[in-house]
Amino acid sequence: MDSDEEDYVFFGTPIEREEEITSRRKKAAAEASGNLRSLPPWKQEVRDEEGRRRFHGAFTGGFSAGYFNTVGTKEGWAPQSFTSSRKSRAEVKQQSIFNFLDEDEKAELEGTLGTSSQFDTFGFTAAEFARKQADKEQKQRPSAIPGPVPDELVLPASESIGVKLLLKMGWRHGRAIKDSCARSLYDARREARKAFLAFASEDVKAPYPANDPDEEPESFMAQPVDNDTRSSKSLPAFVCNPKQDLHGLGYDPFKHAPEFREKKRLHLSNDKQHGYRKAISIKDSLFGSKSGKAAPGFGIGALEEYDAEDEDIYGAGYDFEETCVEEDEEPSRLSIESKQPSRLSIESKQKVVAKDQGVLPGFKVASVSDYQLERFDPPIIPKDFVPHHKFPGPLETLRKLDVPSPPEVPPPDDSNLKLLIEGVAKLVTRCGKLFEDLSRKKNQSNPLFSFLSGGDGHDYYERRLWEEHQKLGDQAKLSLDGKHSLSARKMTAEGRGKLLGEKPLDRSTKETTSSSIASRKFQLQFNLSDTFKKPDSFSKLPEVAKPFKDDPAKQERFEQFLKEKYEGGLRSTGYSSASNMSEAARAREKLDFEAAAEVLEKGKWGKESMVSTQPLDFLAAGMQFTSGGLEQVKDTHAEDLVTKEKYPRREEFQWRPLPVLCKRFDLIDPFMGKPPPAPRVRSKIDSLLFIPDSVKGAKPEEDAITNRDVPAAQTGAQKTIEGAAEEEIEIVAENVERPVDLYKAIFSDDSDEDVEDTITKKVEDPEKKIEVATTTLNRLIAGDFLESLGKELGFEVPPDTPYSTNKANSSAQIETPNSDAVIAKVGTVEGHRTFCAPNVGTGTSLNPEQETTQGGESPKNESIPGKSVRYSSKHTDGLSENISGTVNADKFPPEDKKVRSPSSCQRNWSSSSSSEYERSRKHSRRHRYRSSDSYSDSSSDDRDRYHSRSKGKRKRSSREKSSSSRKHSKHHKHRSRDSPSRSHHGSEGEHSESRKEKRKRRN
Amino acid sequence: MSTSELPRKEANVLKGHEGAVLAARFNSDGNYCLSCGKDRTIRLWNPHRGIHIKTYKSHGREVRDVHVTLDNSKLCSCGGDRQIFYWDVSTGRVIRKFRGHDGEVNAVKFNEYASVVVSTGYDRSLRAWDCRSHSTEPIQIIDSFSDTVMSVCLTKTEIIGGSVDGTVRTFDIRIGREISDDLGQPVNCISLSNDNNCILANCLDSTLRLLDRSTGELLQEYKGHACKSYKMDCCLTNSDAHVTCGSEDGSIFFWDLVDASVVSKFRAHSSVVTSVSYHPKDNCMITSSVDSTVRVWKT
Repeated sequence: MDSDEEDYVFFGTPIEREEEITSRRKKAAAEASGNLRSLPPWKQEVRDEEGRRRFHGAFTGGFSAGYFNTVGTKEGWAPQSFTSSRKSRAEVKQQSIFNFLDEDEKAELEGTLGTSSQFDTFGFTAAEFARKQADKEQKQRPSAIPGPVPDELVLPASESIGVKLLLKMGWRHGRAIKDSCARSLYDARREARKAFLAFASEDVKAPYPANDPDEEPESFMAQPVDNDTRSSKSLPAFVCNPKQDLHGLGYDPFKHAPEFREKKRLHLSNDKQHGYRKAISIKDSLFGSKSGKAAPGFGIGALEEYDAEDEDIYGAGYDFEETCVEEDEEPSRLSIESKQPSRLSIESKQKVVAKDQGVLPGFKVASVSDYQLERFDPPIIPKDFVPHHKFPGPLETLRKLDVPSPPEVPPPDDSNLKLLIEGVAKLVTRCGKLFEDLSRKKNQSNPLFSFLSGGDGHDYYERRLWEEHQKLGDQAKLSLDGKHSLSARKMTAEGRGKLLGEKPLDRSTKETTSSSIASRKFQLQFNLSDTFKKPDSFSKLPEVAKPFKDDPAKQERFEQFLKEKYEGGLRSTGYSSASNMSEAARAREKLDFEAAAEVLEKGKWGKESMVSTQPLDFLAAGMQFTSGGLEQVKDTHAEDLVTKEKYPRREEFQWRPLPVLCKRFDLIDPFMGKPPPAPRVRSKIDSLLFIPDSVKGAKPEEDAITNRDVPAAQTGAQKTIEGAAEEEIEIVAENVERPVDLYKAIFSDDSDEDVEDTITKKVEDPEKKIEVATTTLNRLIAGDFLESLGKELGFEVPPDTPYSTNKANSSAQIETPNSDAVIAKVGTVEGHRTFCAPNVGTGTSLNPEQETTQGGESPKNESIPGKSVRYSSKHTDGLSENISGTVNADKFPPEDKKVRSPSSCQRNWSSSSSSEYERSRKHSRRHRYRSSDSYSDSSSDDRDRYHSRSKGKRKRSSREKSSSSRKHSKHHKHRSRDSPSRSHHGSEGEHSESRKEKRKRRN
Repeated sequence: MSTSELPRKEANVLKGHEGAVLAARFNSDGNYCLSCGKDRTIRLWNPHRGIHIKTYKSHGREVRDVHVTLDNSKLCSCGGDRQIFYWDVSTGRVIRKFRGHDGEVNAVKFNEYASVVVSTGYDRSLRAWDCRSHSTEPIQIIDSFSDTVMSVCLTKTEIIGGSVDGTVRTFDIRIGREISDDLGQPVNCISLSNDNNCILANCLDSTLRLLDRSTGELLQEYKGHACKSYKMDCCLTNSDAHVTCGSEDGSIFFWDLVDASVVSKFRAHSSVVTSVSYHPKDNCMITSSVDSTVRVWKT
């Protein structure tokens, strides 16, 4: 050990041992007692309570490691927890030095002296004074703000300590700080200078002695006084001159030519108050301003240079602005104000010169300036220009105004004839001469119309015709002013019909012959009401499709009806044309019209010309105009028309890109900072009720229908226990979805879910919803909720079906060769079920089987050349796979994004062409709404209807994809499954039958 | 570009695939092309010289789509094995596999920076995968489609998918909106016009539909070819003057963009034309078919 120590050279200080520390502690104790105080300061060591040397600086080595070196607490220095200031920028405090000081340092800081304004004894007076001063300055200087500056704007600075000190030394506000001795010296010199200058100016003034002999002594007398007052002024508050020129900031164009500055200023001031002030000569200013700011008086002699002491810094109350002398001042005032009598005399002399010579001595204003303002003459209006536009072709009616008026004729005695004549006249005026000719030809044999061809009452007819023309002309003029198209005003049903290329109306011939007067009356009223209505009704109407095209008379009445309905105006109370119609027929027709009108109204897509190709076939569909039935018909109609809605159809949703995606796309997250809401949940209740699908939350009920439907078909085919079990499953599954439906029915507004939901539908829905709600509630109370649901779905609910059979049966069913699709469906149903029933085992146990079936199929698939896209065919098994994949992962948290809704899976089951399918789903949904008021009987009907529809679609899809054999067979399967169900429900009402027909036709 | 400049002459036949070729794609500068097919391989070609450069084998099932980054360094491919493969072009090794799709993956695309692969497929979802991190989880799943998504297109800010449910959905990342254009017919393939203002959608009713992206308006329909049951690509020419698509009878159609008239139609393959890809600059086109060939067409 010893030898070792001898051999090695040690660098640094050895690590102290434990014992040494304890000894040091003793030492520290001793120190504390005051033993070592006697050491010189450079030998003293700072030690803490423990006796360790205190740490001095991070890099000089810590003597006692541990927290004492750094923080002083055992816990250590806990870094401030990071809080993002992004959201609360405003709250971030300004750090002060106290944030970084230790306690002892703070304590040290306590004692420092601070300034305070609370003892500003003179503050108030100073402020007052400064304000006054500013006011004074303001009067003297140009300012951007006219008038005295408001006190609020100009605030005097509080007094500095210097001012305070000065005050203490006896200085008062408003007094210049001057050594009295220096001042006397200065004044003396100044006097001398003035005297000298006075002599000099005397020479100049010699030619004009009359000007100021009496002023001079006065001014000299005044000078000392003045001086005194001036010196008593303190420095003026600095007032910024407003920048009125276009030079850059700080640029002084007159820096080296100050005389021009004066000139410029004078020019400006002259502009401002012309005539009031007089220009002083340039020479004067040249003389007066050798440097920018000259001393008061005449400054120094021409040969003297300015010295620092010469500049009277405190006499600056005087500057060039003050040299501006008013023209018509009395000499006495002048002497006081300007204090420069001699200068004035010079000026008065120069004035003349300036006037003669122009601006500068030696300068002449050019007599001819080549600068001219260019002016352009206004364009010459051609002589033949008329400010009002004349339409080239004068209107027929206007032309006819020129026709001399036929003599006033008393109307014929027969009031009927009179009415007829008036009506015809009106019509003719409206429709033109052509109508007259037409009706004349048509009614040749009719004695009533003899007035047309010069018979009885012809004169009166002529007169009426003229009057009508007159009236119409006035109207036309009016409408011309109002920019109404006359043609629109003129157009009647006939004219429009002609325009549209319709068949000429039968009625105008047929009915006039048979019951002419009545129809005339109608026409009259028609026209009369027409005049009270906006002509827009006509411009709008042609767009409207004609549902009664095959019956023009009816169409006519329908249009009339429409007009009344939408335009208001004068109503023909009698519903006029009905002379030959029975009351019942009229009522029926009215309902008819109402329905059609509604349909038309719904069809804003009227451009689609849905009816032009086919007349509204609700007539063919056997429309029953009972109050209840009508609605139904209307609805189906709306649906039918909705299905034909134009594609493409655009919808917009909110979608939330995840922040990572935005980052990877190098975009800013549009939802930055906001908490993610479930984007497409339509109502809160959806998520509340554990509907696992947040995306398709709005459509559980629809899906429920499809869900319901397909098994129904199966049961139709094979009524086994398995089927019953399935139903049971269905019902339990419904358990989840029904309440939502109920809630939905009560609370949700379906405005956003159904774009194509039409107005009337919306009107009707709330009552229905309430009905649904109440009925469902009642059943809940009754306690047979399950059963009622089952009924609603159209199933007979088996009393007690054990779950185990279900499992067994479904697995057994796999062996049946013909039904892989069915299995898949069972699988999905069960997958679905796992949400509410303890049947997960079944769902999962099925999955391998499905896999194998799928695997078995896939080679077949590959053998088909090309990557054929078998969309629908794969749906069933593929989806069941999906579900098998996801269902297991599906635990209950509803906000789990991965959870794929069973309903959305099922959506795609049975049909391939999805858009059609969707539509049909909508149908079915609507049916459900409707059916809710008569649950037990109509629901089955609905289902059947739906089913027939979906069948049609399947047919179609099979047609579409008939190239694939596998596909084909599958579809056969579908159909084979379908057909029994169809026969099963074959006894349904003729409604759906006919609708089915329609459907096929349309497809 | 006049009609005479349409690529109608066969310049090269790229043979090598065994079985149907399901997709053929030019790379970004058009010097190379990639094809993939039923034989579970991806092949890299020089179409102008007709040379087969490399084969990428790893897929377990047919490869349905392939895409290459702008810098030609990485590939992504997808197919029947429900995985997306992220390849290194030069070494031919798979860098990463993205698993998560529940069904066959129909289409795959890189974004502009090659940082994200967007794939879509039979499971009705559209998934975005991160190429930069090592996570194999998708960074986003979009599952608003209600049926198989057949095709996907990316712009700088949007993801556009076309689905069998008849919708073309645009997911705008910038504004967080999803715009759904329902075409009423199953959409087989979508492709963007070169100015990115229009979408050409190949629908299963043997109709190509041109949509205005800003308004969703149907601008034009192109008919004449047969497209009823196969996934078939369509595209616009590089000048956006013509629309081209294959047909199930093996012919290629060219339509005038504006008046939708068939300006050219010729028989190119003996069987279904699965894919068409137009050169980004020149008048050159490659087509692939189930007759296991890729053909290069020039003027």
